Amino acid sequence: MADNEIITLDAGRVCKTLFIMSEDNPFRPSGDRAGDFGILAAGSFDRKIILKDNAYADMIVLALPGADVSLDFRIELAGYGAGCSLCGLYLCPDHENVRINVELDHKVPHCVSDQLFKGIVSGTARAGFYGRIVVDRDAQKTEAYQANHSLLLSDNARVDTMPQLEIYADDVKCSHGATIGKLDEQEQFYMRSRGIPEKEAKVLQMLSFLSPVLDRLPEGETRDSVAAYVENVIRLHF
Amino acid sequence: MENDILLKIEGLKASVEDKEILKGVDLTVRKGEVHVVMGPNGAGKSTLSAVLAGKPQYTVTGGKVTFLGRDLLAMSPEERAWAGIFLSFQYPVEIPGVSITNFMKTAVNSKRQALGQEPLTAAAFLKLMKEKMALVQMKQEFAKREVNVGFSGGEKKRNEIFQMAMLDPELSILDETDSGLDVDALRIVAEGVNTLKTPEKATIVITHYQRLLDYIVPDIVHVLKDGRIVKTAGKELVTRIEENGYDSIN
Repeated sequence: MADNEIITLDAGRVCKTLFIMSEDNPFRPSGDRAGDFGILAAGSFDRKIILKDNAYADMIVLALPGADVSLDFRIELAGYGAGCSLCGLYLCPDHENVRINVELDHKVPHCVSDQLFKGIVSGTARAGFYGRIVVDRDAQKTEAYQANHSLLLSDNARVDTMPQLEIYADDVKCSHGATIGKLDEQEQFYMRSRGIPEKEAKVLQMLSFLSPVLDRLPEGETRDSVAAYVENVIRLHF
Repeated sequence: MENDILLKIEGLKASVEDKEILKGVDLTVRKGEVHVVMGPNGAGKSTLSAVLAGKPQYTVTGGKVTFLGRDLLAMSPEERAWAGIFLSFQYPVEIPGVSITNFMKTAVNSKRQALGQEPLTAAAFLKLMKEKMALVQMKQEFAKREVNVGFSGGEKKRNEIFQMAMLDPELSILDETDSGLDVDALRIVAEGVNTLKTPEKATIVITHYQRLLDYIVPDIVHVLKDGRIVKTAGKELVTRIEENGYDSIN
């Protein structure tokens, strides 16, 4: 079911949401809320979020095995001092198709945005990240960061990544970057030479790769539950 | 005595990317011995250590290696570790996101599981960590750091010797080929080797520099040149190399 709406966060409002993206994957984290995080389970969606003065949106997306989803975030930092953290991970071991579009617009000065998407893609799965940050001419003192990193584990899987940054102001801190890589074999040999079995070495590598996203969830039952689920997926499906 | 033999290398040939590096190495290591393998750059010293540890990029093209009577070359790197081989890396690898504690717990318990032992309890593991960290003078916060990430050269060496102490191998191979160790790092490696020495275990130190041997007294010294061991003698050989260089040995 597509979910399409415009949300306005009024001045000073804080909104924290964990999006569980899958149409038929039954996983739901235990613990209704993690800190102040609300949990939203959905298929594809398209959402516009407008942030007013000092409003803050903290969003974490989990695209789970089996997902065939398209996510569209259109975010406007429209009020002085607004901030947005948007992170996600995608676990695509088989024939998933995950497409993430982020259009993030810094309209006014002194706003902060931070995006981090990481995923593991194997089998015949596809993952795409298309992110664009626009910093308007008036949006001085903007801080905007965007990163997308993928592990591509099979020859038949595909990852597309297109981080884009358009800056029209002249006093800003911005960065963007993307990598697509494999598991490092030097690390694996080092671990194996200490008696860690190859399979377990790979699990450790994948967990450490994803942990920066999981760490964005506040400590608590929900994070533990998500982390345990992610570890289980890695052990069983990659 | 035959049953004193830990490692027996016979006619070992190995290549990397189709280039033959080891051209027939023979070497026997008995329990309680400290061996030193020296040689000029490009002689094959690091290849020898990598092949013994089972590094996948190297291809063995001939010869045989037995470790405690078992065919070493048929074993995976992790099986070699379980059997009691430890390689101290010339350049220890950084593993971002994995703490030393988690890394060592996985390593120690994987070995125990392979040997049919119960995993260590959390308390027993922490006690072991503490004990071995004290041995190499590592501070407590070391345990929480990511493996080798942002470590100085000396800290990396300390971490290698710490891992060696944790895993308690039968045969330690220390690849110190070209690492340009400073005096502190040399001392750490040497103290580790000397402290952990027992009549049941053995060590192979691979080095380009004679000065490591100011701290470690070898029983047997080998010179490796162009993929072969060309000379084997007692520790007096070190002095001869120091005075006359590798060219004097054929």
